[in-house]
Amino acid sequence: MAVDSAAADVVATRSGREFNSVTKSNKKSVATSLAAATCALLGTAGTNPVHAQEEPRWEFDTSLLYYGENDDRVQDISLNILARRSFVDDRLLTLGLTVDSLTGATPVGAAPMGVAQTFTRPSGNSVFSAPANITPLDDTFWDTRYAVSAGWQQPLGRLFRGSAGVSFSNEYDYTHIGANLGLTRDFNQRNTTVSLGVAFAQDDIDPISGSPTPLSPMLDLGDVSNRRGTESKDVVDVLFGVTQVINQNLLVQLNYSFSDASGYLNDPYRVLSLVDPISGDTLARTPAPGTEGPSHEFRFESRPDSRAKHSLFGQAKYFMHGKVLDLSYRYMTDDWDVDSHTIDAKLKFPLANDRYLEPHIRYYTQTEADFYRASLSAGEPLPLYASPDYRLGDFDALTAGIKYGWRTDSGHDLSMRLEYYMQDGEVPGNQLIGNQLQRDMYPGLDAIIFNFSYRFGIGR
Amino acid sequence: MSITIIRFVFSVFVLGFLSACSTLGVEPWERDVLAKDEMQLVSDPLEANIDDHIYFSKEASSGGRGFGGGGCGCN
Repeated sequence: MAVDSAAADVVATRSGREFNSVTKSNKKSVATSLAAATCALLGTAGTNPVHAQEEPRWEFDTSLLYYGENDDRVQDISLNILARRSFVDDRLLTLGLTVDSLTGATPVGAAPMGVAQTFTRPSGNSVFSAPANITPLDDTFWDTRYAVSAGWQQPLGRLFRGSAGVSFSNEYDYTHIGANLGLTRDFNQRNTTVSLGVAFAQDDIDPISGSPTPLSPMLDLGDVSNRRGTESKDVVDVLFGVTQVINQNLLVQLNYSFSDASGYLNDPYRVLSLVDPISGDTLARTPAPGTEGPSHEFRFESRPDSRAKHSLFGQAKYFMHGKVLDLSYRYMTDDWDVDSHTIDAKLKFPLANDRYLEPHIRYYTQTEADFYRASLSAGEPLPLYASPDYRLGDFDALTAGIKYGWRTDSGHDLSMRLEYYMQDGEVPGNQLIGNQLQRDMYPGLDAIIFNFSYRFGIGR
Repeated sequence: MSITIIRFVFSVFVLGFLSACSTLGVEPWERDVLAKDEMQLVSDPLEANIDDHIYFSKEASSGGRGFGGGGCGCN
């Protein structure tokens, strides 16, 4: 509290100094000048002296999310809390908590076949079968993910603002630790803001039974000869942005960002089918006598150990007679040969009594990674890199949804949002072999997103 | 030669951008609309986090608005 009071005094003094410098006829007092100089040395000047009049307070954004995919694939129930405490002198503490409960089935990566296929589970303790003619799914996907984050922002002098943050998350087989730093500077009477940010992350991947050697075969129960230990990856992100006020109703932003990931970038549970070069059918195999194991030949995926991504992102916020249009576009390209375009539009319509409706539409399209493979041909040497991950394939995605929000008598904000997300893609024609031409080789995706949000403040 | 041209084009672009920016904008007392919650670039940070996380785990792209996300075995 003592620190807050001192800062409030500094801001009040700062405010006085700014007033003095504007009305040059007024003489600065020695005390004011000394205080202002101290303030400048401390680098704690506030940009908005009004905050000095306010009590510190907490604001909470809370949300309960349901995300559910078709065919009993991934279901996620997620609780999210973002708490913000504002301090005098325009300083801000942010704390985040997310708990995800994930269940459901996820594609194994293997191609569908005219017969049922048997797989060894990631644990290596049991097998499961996938019916004929549908995308093989592993139905034992479940996990609980906890993520926490903390961030701090404050002015640094009159025109600069600094931020620092840390993040941590944990799942059954994955641990993340990260840190970020940011700096912004205002120009042109605060109509232009230039920002620079950098983030580092170190993630540890500890797959159940150990990570499989890339391109090694899926083995019988109990055989762990292709298993390695834990893995890790490092990610560095750099972001450079410019925000510009165009006029009283229009604000635009342009960001360039670069992301470099290195280390273990595989999905340790995903396999490719090894297929006959003529028929396209997966080669059959027989488990060793007295044990169970895969019915066909599957190979664990193999991705490069580095990835560099470049993104350009532009956004406009436009106020139109009470309605607010939020329009954004992103172009991304990476050295895995993935290019993507994302267009996102939201239009917020105010209704009577502090209520609003906000329709949302988003279109996304990407090209496939250069090592995306629907299957591996037994007639050719194994490539160095190959992944059947549909998320690295060639697909388009569409999101359409609507949000309805209102404010309670006590000033709390509530909203409900319902969205539909669909992906539709295809395997490049030159990758399809024999019977694969008659099969549905690309698992499409339909999902429902529903979230309920509640925002409230305490301590005013 | 081509580097010189690129430098020239880049310089013209940067100078043009900065000079254009200096003529754009509003006076401090004209910020009533821009100060509204719904006019902030990220008006609902929690929703933005949730969406970034969903799309990060289902698509090959991430980031742009902010950092690339991550910290999840989902991708």
